[in-house]
Amino acid sequence: MLQFTRDRTQEIIRDPRFRNLASARAKLRWSLSIVTLIMFFGFIALISTAKSALGVAVAGSSIPLGLLLAMSMCVVVVMLTGFYVYRSNSRFDELASLLNREFRQ
Amino acid sequence: MRVLLAVLFIAFPFAAFAQAASAAAGRGTDWIAIGMFMAIVLTTLVITYRSAGSTKSRADFYTAGHAITPLQNGLAIAGDFLSAAAFLGISALVYANGFDGFLYALGFLTGWPIVLFLMSERLRNLGSYTFADAAAFRLERTPIRLVAAIGSLVVVLFYLVAQMIGAGKVIELLFGVNYLIAVSSVGILMILYVTVGGMQATTWVQITKAALLLCGGTLLGFVVLRRFDFSFAKLFAAASSIHPKGEAILAPGGLFAEPVSAISLGLALVFGTCGLPHILMRFFTVKDAADARKSVFYATSCVAYFSLVIPILGFGAVPILMSDSSYFRVDASGQFNKITDLIGGPNMASIHLAHAVGGPVLLGFISAVAFATILAVVAGLTLAGCSAIGHDIYGQVIAKGRGSDAREVWVSKVAAVCIGIVAVLLAYSFENQNVAFMAGLALSVAASCNFPVLAMAIFWRGTTTRGAVTGALAGLFSSVILVVFSKTVWVAVFGFKSALFPYENPALFSMPLAFLCIWLFSVTDRSARAARERRAFDAQFVQSEIGITLAAEGRVMAEATS
Repeated sequence: MLQFTRDRTQEIIRDPRFRNLASARAKLRWSLSIVTLIMFFGFIALISTAKSALGVAVAGSSIPLGLLLAMSMCVVVVMLTGFYVYRSNSRFDELASLLNREFRQ
Repeated sequence: MRVLLAVLFIAFPFAAFAQAASAAAGRGTDWIAIGMFMAIVLTTLVITYRSAGSTKSRADFYTAGHAITPLQNGLAIAGDFLSAAAFLGISALVYANGFDGFLYALGFLTGWPIVLFLMSERLRNLGSYTFADAAAFRLERTPIRLVAAIGSLVVVLFYLVAQMIGAGKVIELLFGVNYLIAVSSVGILMILYVTVGGMQATTWVQITKAALLLCGGTLLGFVVLRRFDFSFAKLFAAASSIHPKGEAILAPGGLFAEPVSAISLGLALVFGTCGLPHILMRFFTVKDAADARKSVFYATSCVAYFSLVIPILGFGAVPILMSDSSYFRVDASGQFNKITDLIGGPNMASIHLAHAVGGPVLLGFISAVAFATILAVVAGLTLAGCSAIGHDIYGQVIAKGRGSDAREVWVSKVAAVCIGIVAVLLAYSFENQNVAFMAGLALSVAASCNFPVLAMAIFWRGTTTRGAVTGALAGLFSSVILVVFSKTVWVAVFGFKSALFPYENPALFSMPLAFLCIWLFSVTDRSARAARERRAFDAQFVQSEIGITLAAEGRVMAEATS
């Protein structure tokens, strides 16, 4: 039984479909995480370097640039999570459950 | 019958609230507010009563039988996460500092995509009840469970006490009741939700609260914007013309000016969210990883929406309240400070705003929403704390996973009562202390103890038990020590002249230290156990990707590879 499970693990790990799934997921996961972190900490960096520029009103309105950026970041965060969920639902779930069914036996 | 008695028991202090309603604002008895408070308390008690049958097994008690739908769970996560500190505290920060307050909301929000990308699905695939399930998947049970439970309990207790003190103050102010009665009532209610209704009741209290908070925030924001003809330009112009800081409130100011403090706070806000035990626990209430993922999307949407509404309330409160001296403590010469002299302090800005734009009806509604907010968060925290004791310490360490369901649930319920009592006592004894450090400390510990251990155990093959335990303890102790040496404790609580640690938030130092220790003490670990744990990574990896085995078999699999 134990040997069986160990072999089964190695068999799954070597399966090309599993490898594709895992690496595509990892790519999506880490790239989106990095985008999110760069966006937020970049904004903090922007605040400490170009503080006064963020207080200037955007041309044609009286909404300051910094506030507009912060508000758009709220929307972007939802879009990033939405994109991840959409991608996972459409691309990964089917393959993951297929592999799950196949190797469960 | 027991529940009926409990209802009477609970109703009593709230009837006392009725006698003194709105005394603080000097507006006489406010029956509308009392009616709404009673309605909320009754609703939550009905929810609890109806969930009472579903707390027999571990799966029922900790996770509502893994049967919550993604939308329900998303709302419940938002309800668990959006505390009174977020609702009243951040709108108060915007009221007092303008733009800078918004950045807090943004930091809290940015944690969510990270939770989604790195945590939610793998956690659901690897665990069943608490985040320690995933951390201990291939590492040694006893030490990992113990440090995870300690990390959870520290976070839960500090967060809980901070919330309880805030709750006590708000209730005291709104209804003029004694602080101890206010805190005890909140304590009794949260113990009831958790012990009688378990995760099922907690979830529905949180869903109710999320719906109320979103509706209340939207309504208030709508009424405020209508005053300014739905023009942000008019709102900002009106706010900056009357605020003592003038135009400066529209631009970044002092709070995030210093880069080291700003990054440190940002790290605590973003990664603290990924390590909050009561949030991580919610991913186990759905049936699989796909549902966990979907629920984070719903939760993120709610939190993002709320992050956009909050500044409208904060900025709206500036022109509406500051032009009306009846909301301030005015001294004999007719002077008042437009920020600090607000009746009840700046934290009451949203509550006063509700009265200013909607009269007693909206005041009652928004106060009731604030109260529901507090109840839902403290219930979630209590459940997370009691599951750390019941499942991780008793079930896994003491009973070594062989105890019966009934016994473990019983231990958890006793733990919930103890946590409730301790929280009430601490909230009572810290009433007049400066507790600003507590929420920050909870987030720092979550970011520097829980998050590094979990992330490294899930993602890095090389992690060993020795590394994870050392890293967790390093993160835990360094955050606590640095917070004690910082201004918020060393100066504000102990009264020393200057702080030993110059920054307010330790995350920039404690979090990398935790990761460094995990790495260092793992790569230097040459024991047979370490080799076994590295080999077991493959099995963990397969399960985290495609959820091939159920939790019970997972342990077999991990042992099989050893």
